[in-house]
Amino acid sequence: MVDKNKCTGCHQCELWCGTEIASVSKELYQAIHETPQPVPRVFVEGKNFALQCRHCEEAPCLEACPNGTMRRDPETGLVYVYEPTCIACWMCVMACPFGIITPSSTLKVAIKCDRCRNMGYPICAEVCPTQAIRLEERKDYRTKAF
Amino acid sequence: MRYVMVGGSASAISAVEAIRSIDKDSSIDLFSDEATPLFSRVLLPYYIAEELSKPLLSFRSADFFEQNRVTPHLGVKVRSILANSKTIQTEDGKSYPYDKLLLATGGNPIIPPIRGIELQGIFPLKTMADAEKIYHFKAKRAVVIGAGSVGVESSISLKRRGMEVTLLEQLGQVLPTVFDEEAASVVQKRIEELGITTILGEKALQFEGNGQVKKVITESRVIECDMVIIAVGIRPAIELAQEAGIEIGSTGGIKVNPEMMTSIADIYASGDVAETYDITRDSPWVNAIWPCAVEQGRIAGLNMAGKRVLYEGSFRRNSIGNFIGIPAISMGLIRAETCSTCEGGEAFQEIKKRTKETYKKLILKNGRLVGVILVGPTQKAGLYQILLKKKMVVTDYIPLLMSHRLNFMDLLPLIRRYADRFTKTEYKEIMDTGL
Repeated sequence: MVDKNKCTGCHQCELWCGTEIASVSKELYQAIHETPQPVPRVFVEGKNFALQCRHCEEAPCLEACPNGTMRRDPETGLVYVYEPTCIACWMCVMACPFGIITPSSTLKVAIKCDRCRNMGYPICAEVCPTQAIRLEERKDYRTKAF
Repeated sequence: MRYVMVGGSASAISAVEAIRSIDKDSSIDLFSDEATPLFSRVLLPYYIAEELSKPLLSFRSADFFEQNRVTPHLGVKVRSILANSKTIQTEDGKSYPYDKLLLATGGNPIIPPIRGIELQGIFPLKTMADAEKIYHFKAKRAVVIGAGSVGVESSISLKRRGMEVTLLEQLGQVLPTVFDEEAASVVQKRIEELGITTILGEKALQFEGNGQVKKVITESRVIECDMVIIAVGIRPAIELAQEAGIEIGSTGGIKVNPEMMTSIADIYASGDVAETYDITRDSPWVNAIWPCAVEQGRIAGLNMAGKRVLYEGSFRRNSIGNFIGIPAISMGLIRAETCSTCEGGEAFQEIKKRTKETYKKLILKNGRLVGVILVGPTQKAGLYQILLKKKMVVTDYIPLLMSHRLNFMDLLPLIRRYADRFTKTEYKEIMDTGL
């Protein structure tokens, strides 16, 4: 869940995701000098909205992946990249309607948010100063018009 | 209910998963004339290049059939369909009854009638068996005929194995069904940098050799070689369907309705063999690509299991991955002026932007996005795909679409205008962004 009205566009989530998740050193000062440059999995877009993987119920990236590298965790429903088998064909990149999968040609893997599935709680939600990013169970939006 | 699937690749497997999401108990029999199951056809060049070992070619785990309670019949060819008695007959003389049948027979490689084609050392690349033959064949020099995706990737894989490779294409550019001349020239440059000789606008007229192929003869030259790969395209494998009296469409694939059902009730078709409505062309077309095979298989499977779901239509999508070495993505139509299958009187528009390293082109038809070519930054390619798929008129968003700052949130107002074109699930994903 991201609350558009609370997001100030401060990019804290990007910074922390890039350091804590993506970098090798896990220290901001060193992370910015790393090669390849760490890639955050969350993007502050538009005027102010932090967008990360939606872990779609019908995920186009899962359908596009030609060798089962894009996987869904049967327990949590989270969609993640199983990096050892990724062949960097970028079919998932082409399929993602949100444009949140980063093709890393240096690392030769598709990089995307896995909602910190191995960390318990997503870092972007943890560091968001206004709590615009929150982890919540899905409500039923289905019938409401947008 | 008894389900029978003919074919064992992307589309059939996707259909099995769809059926099992609804119907856990009925029997599923799957027939494939290939002995190796569950391998990903598009990865065969990676296998030849020794980039992936055999187990890594699988797109589902080895216990897939067991998990989904499917009875696989591997290496078994289906000989005929008896639509009246609802049975299929296999080549070993057995017959199997069905209630719902799926034809996901894919395509056959086109073998052009060139003199000397029967010589040893000339291979198509379609099946695991083909890949094995190519992999084990001892050769120093290879000629690849056809510079489509399979041809280009085969050339690269043979090059990586240390061979001297010539890529021969009769049209004036590489990847003629994927890119326009401008994007193709970027890819061609890259192919040549890898050390592959490309010859464009020339046709192979004859193969020569004493038992084994040694020469390829074109209009203007003789190319010496020990191996030839034929990659001039595939044709839908419609033989079974044709014989059973199933209607074949105008572009050569099995004609299906939006439920993926053929002209005969309870027989469905999906994947490379099926002719579906092409969204960007607005006419029937065979889009023989992996993602279409998977989505069509899913729709077919759901309908076979009794859940009525309609297919929105297909469109071409190609991604040149890291294998070639430059990120490039192309979807829908390639160019406005040569869209022969489109109706006349349409207003086409092309918008291009070229820098030293990148190229971006949008093709609009009456303001609607019908084609995109991206070379270089491709991360946001999926956004164009959704505009294309939902037939959105994008005229007032062109500056954003051509900009490197393109992002989902800025595009959302446009997507909202077309909210009614999204299915409930798709729509929910967008709503779940919290808006």
